[in-house]
Amino acid sequence: MPALLELQRAFGGALLAGIPPDEPPSSAAAPPGGLAGIDAQLLDIYRNNCRTTLTAALALSFPAVRHLVGADFFETCARVFIPAHPPRRACLNDYGDEFPSFLAQYAPAAGVGYLHDVAMLEWAINRALHAPDVAPADIALLASIDAELVPALQFVPHPAVSVLHLAAPADVIWRAVLDEDDAAMAAIDLAAGPVWLLIERGAAGIEVRRIASGAARFTQRLCAGDSLQAALDGAAAGDALEAVLADHLASGRFTAWRVPPVQIPTGENRP
Amino acid sequence: MDEPHSSEGQAGPIPAAAGIGLRFPHHEHVLKARPAVAWFELHAENYLGGGRVRRTLEAVRRDYPVSLHGVGLSLGSAEGVDLAHLQRLKELVQTIEPGLVSEHLAWSVTGGHYLADLLPLPMTEEALELVCRHVQQAQEMLGRRLLLENPSTYIQFPHSSIPEWEFLDALARRTGCGILCDINNIFVSASNHGWDAGRYLDALPAEAIGEYHLAGHAVCTLASGRIVRIDNHGSRVAPPVWALYERALRRIGARPTLIEWDTDVPEFDVLLDEAAQAEAVLRTLESSRARAA
Repeated sequence: MPALLELQRAFGGALLAGIPPDEPPSSAAAPPGGLAGIDAQLLDIYRNNCRTTLTAALALSFPAVRHLVGADFFETCARVFIPAHPPRRACLNDYGDEFPSFLAQYAPAAGVGYLHDVAMLEWAINRALHAPDVAPADIALLASIDAELVPALQFVPHPAVSVLHLAAPADVIWRAVLDEDDAAMAAIDLAAGPVWLLIERGAAGIEVRRIASGAARFTQRLCAGDSLQAALDGAAAGDALEAVLADHLASGRFTAWRVPPVQIPTGENRP
Repeated sequence: MDEPHSSEGQAGPIPAAAGIGLRFPHHEHVLKARPAVAWFELHAENYLGGGRVRRTLEAVRRDYPVSLHGVGLSLGSAEGVDLAHLQRLKELVQTIEPGLVSEHLAWSVTGGHYLADLLPLPMTEEALELVCRHVQQAQEMLGRRLLLENPSTYIQFPHSSIPEWEFLDALARRTGCGILCDINNIFVSASNHGWDAGRYLDALPAEAIGEYHLAGHAVCTLASGRIVRIDNHGSRVAPPVWALYERALRRIGARPTLIEWDTDVPEFDVLLDEAAQAEAVLRTLESSRARAA
């Protein structure tokens, strides 16, 4: 008689073991250890539920990817992805963060070079859709900060905000695919060069916008937790980053800032 | 059910009437048309984030009694309850103040992975003690009583030693939790395992039952020829499940009753029709009970 922990590990392993897509859906193989006496066909019902639910969750978060590769190919991808990257949380809106990088490595999808970029965009959109509600930082309080400390400020981005640098024009591909606009799809120039995108949740819904590279690099560094001074370093004179920062704050893209404690040498740790 | 629902706050306790499980395809319709429905139940895990989805739940909550039905707490996991998930659920419950909060007698997490299905537990003393511990933990954290739903299962473990109905009875007695009596699940599991569905129902403690679920199921024939009923919530409630529901109302009494439909979700009118049928059964049985009393 297996203990519950052992039984659940065996059951989970059997569910995620997956079946290669070219095999018949019902595996005749005996269940693994700890599940002796269990009909493998009945185990398949649970395996199928698990796979169907997770595939549907991925399809909901990556509709344009699914449209681009077709429903059957998407399901095949999911069958490989799910056992390798099962969800770590019970909230399926959070499932799929590893799907874009999986697609980039997935050899059968190599023919669609921009798939990864479209998936990256869809994941950022999904994050923006489901991110928690967090109040924006109160700009009025910024005035009270000692001017000397301002360069050291670090900002906390709103969880709905993403900045992406993508080789393909994923934004126009994404729109054309979801609008089923063949003319727009045909007009896409894949060689037009990389794009910087800002994705966020606005009052009217999710916004996907192209931004200039200088502003984008600055924003990305701020979102990564770099200090204001570090984010400004290396910027070109024409980038007008003060205006960019003012716009971010006015638009609620940061929820807080942090002033790192000033290092006052006490002498205690000096050699 | 002709009068449109008033926009006055209807939030509050869940009435002993027929409600509907609200799913994404009907969000817009419900917000715009405010159909006359006694109450709605929503899956807690779909509303843990913010934005438009959360605004929808808040809007529904302003106008209707709302029950939150969890599907991800995995109270039967030997690895314990995910405290971060429980914390998110607590925040949702504190904000929404639902009339009922329910979860399942099942497990979904092992090896730190969520398997996205309500998986069967062996009915053993070990499992009972573990589920009791987790239900107590969840009730303490949420600061309120949970209803635990009886599962639909396809597998029975050979080392199970406690009948499922006794397991539920013991769980309710030891933790003070209520039972969400899913009539379709009783029928599905009883059919799959050769149990007597009526005797299962009769063995449940009436005073612990806080809600009924009704849903459709599918009948599948496996390659071996074995027939299995699958709880897919993809059709109208089956006639024998209606009959079992009547039996429940006679013995246990009227409780909030939910129509669930999750696979191939139909037009909202179909759900209204199922709810009206449940309501009719409820009222008929209620008046005959009143006469008998």
